[in-house]
Amino acid sequence: MDKIIFGDNQFFGVNHMSEQTAIKQAQKFRTAEDIYRTLEYVNDIGIKSFMFTTHNQLEPVLEMIKNNSKFDDFKLYPCMPYAHKYADAMVELGPFEMINKFTPGNKLVSGLKGIGSLISSNPIPIMKLLVDSEMKLLKGMNVKGIFLLNIATDLLLGLEMHDMLYEFSKYAEEKYNVKAGFFTMNQVKLHDVLVNKIGLKDPIIVSNINKIGFRMNPSQLEVEKVLAKKDSYNIAMSFLASGALRPKEASDYIESIKGVDSVLFGASSSGHIKETKVILESKVFML
Amino acid sequence: MKKIALIGIGKMGISHLAIANQTPGIEVKAICDTSKSLLRAIEKNTKFVGYTDYKKMIKDVPLDGVMILVPNAYHFEIVKYCIEKGIHVFVEKPFTLSYKDSESLVDLAKKHQVKGQVGYVNRLNPIFQRVKKLLDHNVIGEISTYKNSMTGGVILKKNSKGWRNDYKKGGGCLFDYGPHCFDLSTYFFGTDVQVQSSVLKKVFSTAVDDMVYATLLHNNTIIGLNYINWSDNSVRKATNNIEINGSNGKILASKQELSVFLTEANQELKLDKGWNQIYITDVNTDVPYYLRGEDFSNQLIEFSNLINGHIDESKTSLYNASITDKILEEVKNLNKELL
Repeated sequence: MDKIIFGDNQFFGVNHMSEQTAIKQAQKFRTAEDIYRTLEYVNDIGIKSFMFTTHNQLEPVLEMIKNNSKFDDFKLYPCMPYAHKYADAMVELGPFEMINKFTPGNKLVSGLKGIGSLISSNPIPIMKLLVDSEMKLLKGMNVKGIFLLNIATDLLLGLEMHDMLYEFSKYAEEKYNVKAGFFTMNQVKLHDVLVNKIGLKDPIIVSNINKIGFRMNPSQLEVEKVLAKKDSYNIAMSFLASGALRPKEASDYIESIKGVDSVLFGASSSGHIKETKVILESKVFML
Repeated sequence: MKKIALIGIGKMGISHLAIANQTPGIEVKAICDTSKSLLRAIEKNTKFVGYTDYKKMIKDVPLDGVMILVPNAYHFEIVKYCIEKGIHVFVEKPFTLSYKDSESLVDLAKKHQVKGQVGYVNRLNPIFQRVKKLLDHNVIGEISTYKNSMTGGVILKKNSKGWRNDYKKGGGCLFDYGPHCFDLSTYFFGTDVQVQSSVLKKVFSTAVDDMVYATLLHNNTIIGLNYINWSDNSVRKATNNIEINGSNGKILASKQELSVFLTEANQELKLDKGWNQIYITDVNTDVPYYLRGEDFSNQLIEFSNLINGHIDESKTSLYNASITDKILEEVKNLNKELL
């Protein structure tokens, strides 16, 4: 995987630190063109990986990327499930319609009678259907990995439904021929489950890793110890702690701890994107 | 290790189950829900044992604590049953649907020496806890007034049906957002409180309120405007904002950030004269397990501490929650007609 990966929080008004910052960012990205132009810039300056939630608003952007050959070597890492999409559909349409909407024409699901039998049956085929439904958007595109968002990863982790984590990983490899990755807010617990309990080799784990220890659970020190083991592929997110850190000090920390294989970051202005890229390349990855 | 069970596995129930399962000091022994298919799915895919009858579960499984996560109308009955069996309780907000019922459960818990906690997560939010600390240290001097608002987008278009549009089923913005908003007010300014005025207004709903203004008077000195609105189409998720005015400064806070204005510097708490900005990234947010915010993890840690005897009383005690029910009732009764 590339060392530097571009993320998508800024496009959708997500900022963990400040509501005002989130509003300002959302104003910059009102249309698909606004998002596309930023990704074009990202691609032009040589950041060749984009990790994003399968958000409805990205559909037209993905279409534009598909139609421009300069994105041919641009790697896509979809992250799923975008929970709001399902939650909203559930409220709007109810369970039956929601399932039909996301799995159109699928005999298995439409054949099932009611949500009751749906949940009482094995959840693995449903997971597969949902992955397929999300992947439809990306047909024929340069997808290099499929990631499970932390709301799902951490729920499965909390309920100890470890098989599902394994099955997700297996499905990504078997059906799509790519590695699975896992977002988490519980890096230490997840690492233990993936490596020691279900025996995945070098699992890809995306977690908060930053100088001030923001959302590094259960503690910064314990996360650092796990990173140092180097038996997982570790992607740092929130390395700027939602803007609490300047890129220079943030990068110095990432460099100092070792064990971070890639950094996922988002920024809304071209100046910040460039600055962060340059610092990561020169300070952290010595490219 | 204290043994607990969960009653009611809805959307909140599933997340409480995951968090409880990862919280030190407690062990989930059983779960209970009326949906057989849901129980079948959970039993098949997890280690939890399911019951459809909570009384049978309590009879069969030795328990130290129970989390009651059922629809609001059933809170009273189940909490009462658990207290009488000597089992500590966690119950989702609001405590019950009437102040009289809540008050009687507070007394009953005292009688049976049972400890209780209600799901008011704002009190366990790291930023709001910081605000509380600033107030306890008298950082902005004598408090005169505050404005406390909770807004979100629940009802955003004409709505004439469903339980949300029916007071009898716990509908309306007052009973949905109101509890969290008023509870935050009593957390900061105390439970010696009277409702001075209230206005309930409908916007999209046809039979219930979508917006509420209520003024509360605490300790006969602090007056606060509480504003709730579940028809705000500009916010991504429910948002709390509070502004507190004191003789030596002002506090502005939300769940993620806090601004403090001081007329004089405060050496002890390292705050400058003028504006000080504190973000959630500045406070320690470590939790043993994170699912949907530190508040929810802290809530289960609090319950674990409570039933393990590490704390005598929860910050979100049954008594505090009963006062919130009292406020809700007074706000509803004081309003003459739905505008």
